[in-house]
Amino acid sequence: MSVDEAVRRHTLLARDGDEQLLGARLVARRKPGQWISAALALLVVAGIVKSLVTNPRYHWDVVGAFFLRPSILDGLVLTLWLTAAVLISSYLLGIVLAVMRLSTNPVLSSVSAVYIWFFRSVPPLLQLLFWFQMASLYPQISLGIPFLEPFVTIETAHLFSGLLAAFVGLTFDIAAFAAEIIRGGLVSVEAGQSEAAKALGLSKARIFWRIVLPQAMPAIIPASGNLLIGLLKGTSIVSVIAVQDLLYSVQLIYAQNYLVIPLLLVATIWYLILVTVLSTIQFFVERYYARGKGARTGFWRLWRGQLPLVPRSSPRRDVEVI
Amino acid sequence: MSEPLVRVRGLSKQFGANTVLDGIDLDVARGSVAVVLGPSGSGKSTLLRTVNHLEKPDAGFVEVDGEIIGYRREGAQLRELSDRAVTRQRSRIGMVFQQFNLFPHKTALENVLEGQLAAGVRRRAAETRGRELLDRVGLADKERSYPRQMSGGQQQRVAIARALAVEPELMLFDEPTSALDPEMVGEVLGVMKDLARTGMTMIVVTHEIGFAREVADQVVFLDDGRLVEAGPPGDVLVSPTHERARAFLSAVL
Repeated sequence: MSVDEAVRRHTLLARDGDEQLLGARLVARRKPGQWISAALALLVVAGIVKSLVTNPRYHWDVVGAFFLRPSILDGLVLTLWLTAAVLISSYLLGIVLAVMRLSTNPVLSSVSAVYIWFFRSVPPLLQLLFWFQMASLYPQISLGIPFLEPFVTIETAHLFSGLLAAFVGLTFDIAAFAAEIIRGGLVSVEAGQSEAAKALGLSKARIFWRIVLPQAMPAIIPASGNLLIGLLKGTSIVSVIAVQDLLYSVQLIYAQNYLVIPLLLVATIWYLILVTVLSTIQFFVERYYARGKGARTGFWRLWRGQLPLVPRSSPRRDVEVI
Repeated sequence: MSEPLVRVRGLSKQFGANTVLDGIDLDVARGSVAVVLGPSGSGKSTLLRTVNHLEKPDAGFVEVDGEIIGYRREGAQLRELSDRAVTRQRSRIGMVFQQFNLFPHKTALENVLEGQLAAGVRRRAAETRGRELLDRVGLADKERSYPRQMSGGQQQRVAIARALAVEPELMLFDEPTSALDPEMVGEVLGVMKDLARTGMTMIVVTHEIGFAREVADQVVFLDDGRLVEAGPPGDVLVSPTHERARAFLSAVL
């Protein structure tokens, strides 16, 4: 029944002015506060940019001259592959620790808990110095069963170079945090998923790799992105034990020419570039693991959507409902 | 009468001080449908979950096709089987859950493939069979849909196809329509009726008395972990002898 008909039959009450109300245009509320705060923020940004450009002591010409120096690029490469190596080894160790932590075996669970407690408590720099001094604590490392004749014996003085100390120290540190992130993700997967997989006749390993872990990933990725970025920057502590990473290569140069600020800027810009690349990769990885969770969001659309002043072109629909 | 496919004997299970199953005896003949009724908390789901060893019994045993589930007989002992052996036994028993439990990160077709791939079926062959099964439950056009893009009734039908994909000789249904909107109950029961007609052996926990009346060969009634009534639907549903069963049926009918 149409509105007109309903009014005629007196099932709806007609009132004067309804016609105008129906024809009226809807105008959104104005938000002057948003414009004022945006203007203030832009003022601050303009001040910073002006100072960056006009202050001659930044020596942008020097930044440009040293930006692609081979020794700095070598440091950059070392930073990158140290990050990658630590990432891979610490996540493999982290998965093992997380699974141990969730195990019904009380010994395994406790060992994992103590590991996580210990390595989350010790600052990575302190650990690094410790591994570097390994030779004075254990001059030899022997592999074998306690109290019996060892199979292999290694002199630690030759073993722990600065780089290996950095790799081991950072791996042990990151693995403790990775284990907690992974455990959180695994716990977030409903028990019904493993049960359904068991009922289908999937083996334990298959259930973990194909059913549980992929569903844990959306919970694991964002925190892992943070951890990875922290790791990338954290590798700069190896400069303390004279490993030539990005930061240390820069320090070596300004120790000679005293152009401290511009060379620190070189390192800063490189770190900015690296983290930007990592964040972009994280975005696409997150989107991949969000499959099955509704409409995909494009990179630029998401970015625009975060601007406060631009109204959304359409109401946001995260989940498709049928 | 030939040897029953499922034999349950003296099955008991406790959760802490709470006795959930108390000496259940039950036979399910090959190709027949057994419907398990009872108030919530009476142990229906636990009984079903013990049949494929998702729960371990505290006493008694379940035998499917002459094989004791989850255990191996060694003299006077029943020793628990290895994970691998239990996995193999489970692959011959399909199960459908109240909450569907489809894998949300996999499409309908991928859900149906998963059990077959685990059983070593080639991908090409598995896909062919997967599409046949989706067609059989009326969802041939949904093979690329993710669970969240489907209605509850559609998800449950995919779950049935997924369970059938490994060619089980026994199907367990744990309140398959309880989480569904009323208008979707029919489509799922329809698929189950078709399945019963093909001669599949089924154990169904449900509150759908109409389904029991129409499809069941045997209706059993559980109360407080005990099997208090069993027989053809014409007897159990029409003139139950046990007082608790009478009260329950008069409340739901």
